[in-house]
Amino acid sequence: MLVSGIVSRPKYEPFALDPSGRSHLIVADHPAPPGDFGPTPASNAPIEIWCVCTNPRTTAEASQNGRAVSRSFRSTAHLLDQLDKRLARELVGLRIYAVGIESFVWDVARLARKFGMEKGEYRLTHKGSERRRVYCIHCRAYTEDVTTNIVSCSGCGASLLVRDHYSRRLAAFMGVQVDAEVPGDVPAIEEAFP
Amino acid sequence: MTLAFKPAETFRKDFTYRNSEAGILRFPFPFAEDTYMYSVNIEPHLPGGPSPAYDHAFDVDEHYVAECKERAIVLAEDPNRCKVLPHMTEAQWDTLELIMESFAKDYPEHFSLQKNGTRWSWENRPLGLKDSFTFGDLSSLPYEPFEYITRQAQGDFTLQDQRDNNLFVDGGMVTTQADWSLEFDIGMTFHEWHGPVPLAHQLGVFDRALKFLLRLQYGQPVRRLNWTMTINPRLDTSPENYPVWGPDRNTVTPENVAQKVHLRVELQTLFRLPRSNAILFGIRCYLASVAELARVEKWRKRLHRVLRDLPPELEDYKGLTRYRKLVVDYLAPFDDGAPLSRGPQPDQTIL
Amino acid sequence: MSGPKLNLRVRSIEPLSPLLKRFELEMADGGEVPPFGPGAHLRFNLQGDHQRWKNAYSLVTPPTERRRYAVIVRRVEHSRGGSAFMHETVKPGQILEASVPANLFPVSQIARKHLLISGGIGITPFLSYLAAFKSKAAGYELHHFCRAKEAEIFGHLLRDHESSRIHIHAGTEFNLSSVLSSQPLGTHLYTCGPEGLMDLVLDTARTHGWPASKLHSESFGSAHMGGAPFIAILKRSGAEIAVREDQTLLEAIEEAGFEPTNLCRGGACGECLTRVLEGEPEHRDHYLDEGERASNCSIMICVSRAKTNRIVLDL
Repeated sequence: MLVSGIVSRPKYEPFALDPSGRSHLIVADHPAPPGDFGPTPASNAPIEIWCVCTNPRTTAEASQNGRAVSRSFRSTAHLLDQLDKRLARELVGLRIYAVGIESFVWDVARLARKFGMEKGEYRLTHKGSERRRVYCIHCRAYTEDVTTNIVSCSGCGASLLVRDHYSRRLAAFMGVQVDAEVPGDVPAIEEAFP
Repeated sequence: MTLAFKPAETFRKDFTYRNSEAGILRFPFPFAEDTYMYSVNIEPHLPGGPSPAYDHAFDVDEHYVAECKERAIVLAEDPNRCKVLPHMTEAQWDTLELIMESFAKDYPEHFSLQKNGTRWSWENRPLGLKDSFTFGDLSSLPYEPFEYITRQAQGDFTLQDQRDNNLFVDGGMVTTQADWSLEFDIGMTFHEWHGPVPLAHQLGVFDRALKFLLRLQYGQPVRRLNWTMTINPRLDTSPENYPVWGPDRNTVTPENVAQKVHLRVELQTLFRLPRSNAILFGIRCYLASVAELARVEKWRKRLHRVLRDLPPELEDYKGLTRYRKLVVDYLAPFDDGAPLSRGPQPDQTIL
Repeated sequence: MSGPKLNLRVRSIEPLSPLLKRFELEMADGGEVPPFGPGAHLRFNLQGDHQRWKNAYSLVTPPTERRRYAVIVRRVEHSRGGSAFMHETVKPGQILEASVPANLFPVSQIARKHLLISGGIGITPFLSYLAAFKSKAAGYELHHFCRAKEAEIFGHLLRDHESSRIHIHAGTEFNLSSVLSSQPLGTHLYTCGPEGLMDLVLDTARTHGWPASKLHSESFGSAHMGGAPFIAILKRSGAEIAVREDQTLLEAIEEAGFEPTNLCRGGACGECLTRVLEGEPEHRDHYLDEGERASNCSIMICVSRAKTNRIVLDL
């Protein structure tokens, strides 16, 4: 159970626009997404930047920002809801770039896949905290923002060991009851994912 | 040989599961040599080989009825153990057809399939089932086709969609598993799914296996064996129920080790499905206690040598840490160190 | 790799045009034909008086049809003889041996829409696609290119499908770019036909940002044409085999009594990859990457030949 070095642990790419894309949508869970687009992609490929700016006065109104069109959203939920509607009318040739914490970028990937996008059409860049979303394999509850190797499940209260095994579908790491073999035998809790 | 089913056997609580003498001798013993390491040990799934368990596409043995009952219990507790993503409907029908046709051909005394165009009639005598349905019409069966037929088969099954030069585990019936979760793993690629397996990635085992499987052809199924150990004859050793079975690992003593510790062998079969181009992966679990296996002279010696020399990473991954030494100590007095014949066959016909 | 074989009786032969014939086949034992999926093909072992051919033809029957198979064969002008044999020698009632269906051109199960672009006889795999789309109510669009005089024949083959989704282009203006730049996310593109058409379609798609995972193609015919004769030496047996100009390296090796592993016979699947010990291959396959080609260490014997007079193979 307590095996490390698991290869399902995602690896992330540094942010860079894919020159083969015909339009580019950058979505970020923070207010200052990357402005350096790297080697200029095909000159006429439109670029849009969506980011989360937790400010109750924010609307999703678009503004021109150099080469790119920018929109700000009140929350990640707000952004993801709009992204869902946007992708429903998008065309082949689009590239999506998600930048942010792990749970956010995989929520974006899940939406992209829902609309038939595949590896090569979306690119994920991890930025920010290493904190994890943990899925309790016993009761199916999610525990968000986990920074420790062992966490108390938000659903059943069990002490869950956070494994490196990652489900892209659930956008979460697996949590397994750490004292299943010997009840009460819980190792020291340590900060593991700052 | 007519099969005598043992419908009252249990795989939980009082654990009354046992192998008959014939059942022990046909056990698909996985060790062809005195040491074990991962390899791409894939071979054509053709009738024949060192155990009658390989004689048919899907082996039906004396535990058939009891295992189907056990599966129904698990599904009643946790319906998510059977899950198929929506794009796999074609593969569901492929699976139903493959298993029904194989059963009816290989075990005509127990199963029959009548076809009249797309109107099919299926009879499963051991389970007392008789259903008529329209092939291709989801509404004509009591369950979706994959669940319907895999409730009537021994062993777990997964469905792999092939795309983008990869295989995705996009469906399954998983109630007799060695500690992996369909609910968690569904949708994963071949490498992600096998993520937790140590050493094999570095050896390139999965790269080579994937390349091979991408070219798997219809009508040419393949098989391989895998193994681990389980305390008590428990089929459902899922991560979901780890708190239920995990404590068993502390119950092994020198006195009960031979009865409690079971070798768990998976006969894994892979079939290209004709309509969907998906791959059906059968993971058939066989259990035999150390005491049962020790009745075969070659096997008790070989099992001793394999467990004694097992690499520590595999001991950990297979969860043997708490009791491996007890098994080795139990078997050691039976092993005189004499050379053993190559291959896994028992080298004896009676016990 | 030699899989299970089928004995198929020719039920009927229907001439569609001077160059096209449709063959209906049923199991010689009267049973159901094995199931297959859209895009599958049969590989026939054709036995002539002095020669044998292994030709692959796409199944054009709906995948739900279990009483019979059908294939359409174009008589190829500079053929190695297989298609001429099918056209001239094969008669109704005759038994032909074929492998069970194999599929190297399956439809995507996750596509939200299917865009099909074919040329000439390349329409054949799409005939089974269309039947499958119809029964699943899947979204699709087909563009077929052919000579003006054959437009009517192909129109007839496609008559059972929604005319609003089917576009036959017989020498008329067509804007490939506008089709490829206006497809909804999740569309998969399939192309089958002459190499030139497929290359154009795939190159244009890439220009419009289509990722490799959404591009599918199957080549028929031209890739495995003959060439200059040469000598192949099989190192392990020492056999020296003269490869004639009208046969492939694989066919010559088989004619000499060897059965090297192979599958698609079209340079796509990778099954017949063979090590080259001496000599320089003339690569005609779709499997090896640029580096592998340049190294001259490997050859796909089903389609590739030798640039040198002599090639030594690790067989």
